[in-house]
Amino acid sequence: MTTDPPTATNTKVRQVEAIVHGTVIDHIPGHMTLKVANLLARENDQVSIGMNLRSARMGRKGLVKISGRELDERTLSRLALIAPGATVSIIRDYQVIHKSTVPMPKTFEDIARCANPNCVTNHEKWSSRLDVIGHEPLHVRCFYCERSFAASELTLV
Amino acid sequence: MTFSGRHVISIADFSRGDILTVINAARAIEMQSAPRTELVGGKLMATLFFEPSTRTRLSFEAAMQKLGGRVIGLSDAASTSTKKGESLADTIRMIEQYADVIVIRHPRDGAARLASEVSRVPIINGGDGGNQHPSQTFLDLYTIAKLYPALLDGSAPLTIAFAGDLRYGRTVHSLLTALCHFRVKLVLVAPRGLEMPAEYLQQAAAVGMDVSEAPNLQDAIAQADILYMTRLQEERFPDPLEFDHIKASYRITAHMLSDARQSLRVLHPLPRINEIAIDVDQTVHAHYFAQAGNGIPVRQALLGLVLGVLI
Repeated sequence: MTTDPPTATNTKVRQVEAIVHGTVIDHIPGHMTLKVANLLARENDQVSIGMNLRSARMGRKGLVKISGRELDERTLSRLALIAPGATVSIIRDYQVIHKSTVPMPKTFEDIARCANPNCVTNHEKWSSRLDVIGHEPLHVRCFYCERSFAASELTLV
Repeated sequence: MTFSGRHVISIADFSRGDILTVINAARAIEMQSAPRTELVGGKLMATLFFEPSTRTRLSFEAAMQKLGGRVIGLSDAASTSTKKGESLADTIRMIEQYADVIVIRHPRDGAARLASEVSRVPIINGGDGGNQHPSQTFLDLYTIAKLYPALLDGSAPLTIAFAGDLRYGRTVHSLLTALCHFRVKLVLVAPRGLEMPAEYLQQAAAVGMDVSEAPNLQDAIAQADILYMTRLQEERFPDPLEFDHIKASYRITAHMLSDARQSLRVLHPLPRINEIAIDVDQTVHAHYFAQAGNGIPVRQALLGLVLGVLI
């Protein structure tokens, strides 16, 4: 049995249309919204994007909805790196069955390149490993070359 | 933590207790009048140098031979199969079949750590790009501890001045990290733009180290028990005229040391270029060649410890 789609009478008015099944990434820092959509969406995904939405917590925020798909662990790690603090909701049959802040791993393995051009991981076929050393803003240290970087300096693999 | 089988990659991996173990082992080796040729008899050290560094390689080779071990090695990448496209990991997997310990020097930052993840025999980092050179840090600490035993017992805080390129100089970064385990006062003097990076200042602040900046070299000399000089590299300065000007103000001469404490000792990782005048060599303060000599017992200690023949 499928629940009726939400309407203005059975829920508060939505800024972006509801999805039946899938994942909603909310509370994305405004300037990262398109990057998050690009990162998460696969070729045939149906994606809704909200930009500069009103947010009590953030003032303005971004929101991305992906229909028909839940995110795997690796994708969540990538999301944690570029939009730490975003919330991820799993939607099934219009209902939020799980909602949490994107989990922040202690280590990003093979998620982003080390920003040090002389780091051995940028020259050998070897996975990068970036250990989280600070939050807000997110900072990492390369396990190999021991250099520290802001997450904003990194390029996703 | 036991040293047997342990990799020596970064000074940050070593506790105060580990550092004291290395210093005590080096001291014990140096106090033996007869060479300890029986210690690592039959063991083989491979030196895997992907870039030339004659003094580090010779120092490790001398240390191993003094312990009675044998040495095989590659002195430059041109003679290795990396030229044929072999990965560093595969090179290590091959060399570990032959050797009981591998000393690696590599131009890429983090190469020694990568090697340690592959190797079943201990890897000793002989310098990975601009990152770490832990045996240099151990010999620097050993030198300071020999000059001033108070470093180890903390009975009186030493004043140690770092001068020169503190931004890119890996020796002063690693030495600062190691000195965080001891009670010292740090004085920094560096040209504008080449100051100690914030993350190292934060490390020092986290352990309550007293760190101050001196306005010039002369001022640092007046305060210091140890003056640790580093090389200024011309490529760090976009303007050659600026380099010439700075170079002149970061050069010590015998005359500048005339009012220094008699006990002041000048250290330098070598090679020096212009930053220490030749006339300093004749003063009581010159200690950089003795410092280099301490590399032998310290590297003997590291080899003996990781090979499990010293405890």
